[in-house]
Amino acid sequence: MNRNNIFIHIALALVLILVAAFAGQLSRWRKQLKTNVRIVPAAEKKQPTSAEEIALSETRSFGRPEVLVKFKSGVSRATIESLTSRFNDRIEDNIENVAGLESIDDLDNADAGTVAAQYGAMPEVEYAEPNYDIELDEVDNPLVPILPHDPQFNDQWALANSGQRGGKQGADISATLAWAKTTGSEDVVVAVLDSGVDYTHEDLAGNMWVRPSEMDPYHDEELGTVDDLNGYNAIDGNSDPMDENGHGTHCAGIIGAEGENDLGIAGVNWKVQIMPLKFMNAGGFGTTKDAIEAINYVIDRKKAGVNVRIISASWGSTQKSRALEDVIRKAYENDILFVAAAGNASTNNDRSPHYPSSYDVPNVISVAALDRHDQLASFSNYGAKSVAIAAPGKEILSTWLGNQYEEKSGTSMATPVISGVAALILAENPRMSVDDLRKRMMDSTDPIVALKGKTVSGGRINAQKALK
Amino acid sequence: MSINKDGAVQNARTDLAKRLNIDPADVKERSVEDSDFPDMSLGAAEDGEMSGQMITPGWRIRLEANGQTFEYRADKNQVRLYKYKGKNYRI
Repeated sequence: MNRNNIFIHIALALVLILVAAFAGQLSRWRKQLKTNVRIVPAAEKKQPTSAEEIALSETRSFGRPEVLVKFKSGVSRATIESLTSRFNDRIEDNIENVAGLESIDDLDNADAGTVAAQYGAMPEVEYAEPNYDIELDEVDNPLVPILPHDPQFNDQWALANSGQRGGKQGADISATLAWAKTTGSEDVVVAVLDSGVDYTHEDLAGNMWVRPSEMDPYHDEELGTVDDLNGYNAIDGNSDPMDENGHGTHCAGIIGAEGENDLGIAGVNWKVQIMPLKFMNAGGFGTTKDAIEAINYVIDRKKAGVNVRIISASWGSTQKSRALEDVIRKAYENDILFVAAAGNASTNNDRSPHYPSSYDVPNVISVAALDRHDQLASFSNYGAKSVAIAAPGKEILSTWLGNQYEEKSGTSMATPVISGVAALILAENPRMSVDDLRKRMMDSTDPIVALKGKTVSGGRINAQKALK
Repeated sequence: MSINKDGAVQNARTDLAKRLNIDPADVKERSVEDSDFPDMSLGAAEDGEMSGQMITPGWRIRLEANGQTFEYRADKNQVRLYKYKGKNYRI
């Protein structure tokens, strides 16, 4: 090796050392950035100052709201300008490299999430989302609201109450923050014990339970073998739980209408398995005996290996049945939560019990209904000792027969909200016992003044808290 | 089959006349008003019956016969006699 070669090799070695050192520093910087980065809506930059502002809901924005809207290809500039001016918005910037992507200012200071949902619902829009700033922070990542693009989501005040139709902003179950942790799991099965479910509804079909091919069909000593591929009909003792009323389909949609599928609404769970059970007829009523048969079916399927952990029961009467109580207790022994409507007679269940919600069985959780103003719904039963919890239950939009959507009211509608939150908890905590699940629900409420002395928990369920 | 308001009133009159063993013409219609009932058995559940806890629109029908007033409740799916001799009946 001559002297020139030695110098070349030394120079190369120095360059390599410098490159390695620089790469190491880059890696440290990147790591630091990952640790400290947090994503916040741009509108959150200006922090709330008054108590009233602080009390506003999690999706409320402060300062200038911004949304990023991607219009579909072919939508003209004139149309975009017309749409934005109709909402008193201003196009702030055009993102040149993504055709149709616009940054839009809302001049009315409306909530960025609401504005995004409004744009997202337009047929001309491919998607819309709040404009998130990425900034360095010393704290852990806060949850960022997740807003689905289901076109009627903005009407689902129970999930995200932005004050639509004069409601109280934030009077909701904080679903959008809960979804930052989980949107549900297809491993969780919720039995909707009702008038059946329209399992062909386009917003439900993908979340319907189907008996696994390796599992034996249901066998009953009196009925023989029932091919329960799609659920169970206790009225006729057969395998078709098709809803002829609409009530069960409505409840099913609240629990688990498919989320982010560009159709209708989003359920509390975007992904879940709904096991349809029919014991109420086209009129919306049924017999205690058929309810018992259907619960017996659920327990059988649980024992056969189906991960059915929740029975949602949006029904009842003032008549006590020891047999019904016994089968619900049997469900408890099989680790199944029983969520029951408190009733709609505006009465105190402590004095005039309503069943099955008033059974003193550890897996029963009785549900009262709230309106969009965080008031106990005028029709709702209550009970400081006997009604456990409250959830939105008035003017609730959900799925209906024939691929339709309707608004309905009742503790029937509040019940599946609670069932849905229970399913979210199980999605995150699959092995949680029914006792712990019920306790988690009771510990996960927002105190509501109107519920003081009216329910055991005195609060409205908060799905985000439930996923702590 | 879906029931309308007139059909519900007619069913109620026929039922009451039969129960009281009188001529339907002797059953007087006192009032028929739209009403929201607390549940899907129209707040008039029969023994052993459970119903969806959804507010249900329908009609409150008050009929008069033999000097007494009788209340029927109806919606598009059903007609019920409310608290007749202390019990509810779906007709």
